[in-house]
Amino acid sequence: MTSKLAKPVVRQVKPLLSLDKEEARKRALNLYKAWYRQIPYIVRDSYLPKSVEQCRAKLREEFEKHRNLTDIRVIDMLVIKGQMELKSCANKWSQSCHIMNFFKESYEQKPKDFLSKFMDGRP
Amino acid sequence: MASLIGLRKLNGFLRPQTLRQCVSLSTGNAVFGKEPVMKDKKYALLSPEDMEHLDKIKSTITTTDPMDVSLISGVPEEHVKERRVRIFASSKNAMQSGTDNVGIWSMEFETRERWENPLMGWSSSGDPLSNMKLEFISTEAAIDFCEKNGWSWYVEKEKPINARGKSYAVNFAWNKRSRVSTK
Amino acid sequence: MASQLFRLAVRNTTQLPKIFSGKQLLQNCIRTSTTAVHGTSEKCDIPEIKPTSPEQRVTVRKYDAELRERLTDFGRYVAECLPRYVQRVQLTCGDELEILIAPEGILPVIMFLKCHHNAQYTNITDIAGMDVPSRMYRFEIIYNLLSVRYNSRIRVKTYTDELTPVDSICEIFKGANWYEREAWDMYGIFFSNHPDLRRILTDYGFEGHPQRRDFPLSGYVEVRFDDERKRVVAEPVELSQEFRKFDLSNPWEQFPNFRDAPPAAEEIPIPEPKK
Repeated sequence: MTSKLAKPVVRQVKPLLSLDKEEARKRALNLYKAWYRQIPYIVRDSYLPKSVEQCRAKLREEFEKHRNLTDIRVIDMLVIKGQMELKSCANKWSQSCHIMNFFKESYEQKPKDFLSKFMDGRP
Repeated sequence: MASLIGLRKLNGFLRPQTLRQCVSLSTGNAVFGKEPVMKDKKYALLSPEDMEHLDKIKSTITTTDPMDVSLISGVPEEHVKERRVRIFASSKNAMQSGTDNVGIWSMEFETRERWENPLMGWSSSGDPLSNMKLEFISTEAAIDFCEKNGWSWYVEKEKPINARGKSYAVNFAWNKRSRVSTK
Repeated sequence: MASQLFRLAVRNTTQLPKIFSGKQLLQNCIRTSTTAVHGTSEKCDIPEIKPTSPEQRVTVRKYDAELRERLTDFGRYVAECLPRYVQRVQLTCGDELEILIAPEGILPVIMFLKCHHNAQYTNITDIAGMDVPSRMYRFEIIYNLLSVRYNSRIRVKTYTDELTPVDSICEIFKGANWYEREAWDMYGIFFSNHPDLRRILTDYGFEGHPQRRDFPLSGYVEVRFDDERKRVVAEPVELSQEFRKFDLSNPWEQFPNFRDAPPAAEEIPIPEPKK
């Protein structure tokens, strides 16, 4: 059982935005800065129940998650999607509920131990 | 009409020296001497580095990274890291049905916990991928797809169907004990 | 009077180029209005109408042989004009022309079909996507074009994967803007040089591309109004009644009578380019 795609093979691909890693890194940093500067306005305009610091911490967390990425095109694609999100937040297309979904507060932790599972009505 | 008027004016003042000038005059964007190079407004204000980048982006880049789209496919992290995929060929029905549409490679996720709905007794599930089934032309295609999406996988070996020839008449063959004399 | 007018119309149409010949138009006219032609058939020297398709069964669709021939010719012509990009030309469903091209050639091919005098496909009817997870380039992008001038439709197909960008045709067809946004939103196909590429159908903050084959029917999140937080919140989906999975494939052969029917797509052989 072999897999062609998953192996690290040298191949020629079409770039999305960046030609090398340095450029992709720059784009990611620029996006980070743009979000960082926009956050006070987002918090103020959509009356988020979060402080600017909390939002910036969340922003940092989201970027740190992908710190070790190496594939240029994946970085570019994430930057493109992040840029689109930023645009919809800055233009107030996204409402506060959309923005609050980044925090995933409503995602309940699934019951782990027997008693809480039992109380939850699950096996 | 505009070009006609232009030419008539020219006859009055100055006559075009060559045919080329005349033609360019008639199209309206002409001057004597050196013609300006027309630039697309999209590219007019770009710096040389940007222009070079625009050229290069049309070509290809070399990459050694394996293709991994798990971060951009929109599948939540828990469904990428915790799920296991079973790749199998659909088997024949145990009844006397035919064998068309059998043996197609497909992938399925391992089952997650289900529970009984306390109110209605339905079987409930928190697994969105439980009813997803993808079909592939080969095992390799299915494995590639799983690797690309970051799912761990295993292949269930295809069991060959050994068809037995069945005939009603065999039951009454001479070499069978089933044939019983009536005498 | 009516017949005179008709003859005049016929004379005018004979001046059209070969691709839409006057004879063909005439035959079409005859088919639609037999009564008008009846009196003038001797004078106009119209050949006797024969069934153009050998298919005689009533329940099987008949194809106009001349239309097929014209489409075949045109398909071959496109392949000869753009040998670098056209990979395959085929007729599907009997009389629908499809041109399968390499993704690098989207702009030149669409430009050719729009601007060439014998094509004039000036309307973009639709851009569709297709997802086949088995393939290495899993997405197919399908451009449907319409030529009002020649009353003809054509389909251009190309392919890509999740990470490979495809050239946007917004420069050529302004109307492709929303179609490409839709393809981006539903499949995650990235169009480079698109003026305003963003979501069009899904909600803000939605993750994933719903038309992909590996996107579950229920989606990954569900939303509800939360009374404590006084806003709509999203949660991982939980189905109180799970979807039932049916195997709808039939173990029996469906149409044994059509075993030797013509294939869904008939390839038109492309002549090798001369060196």
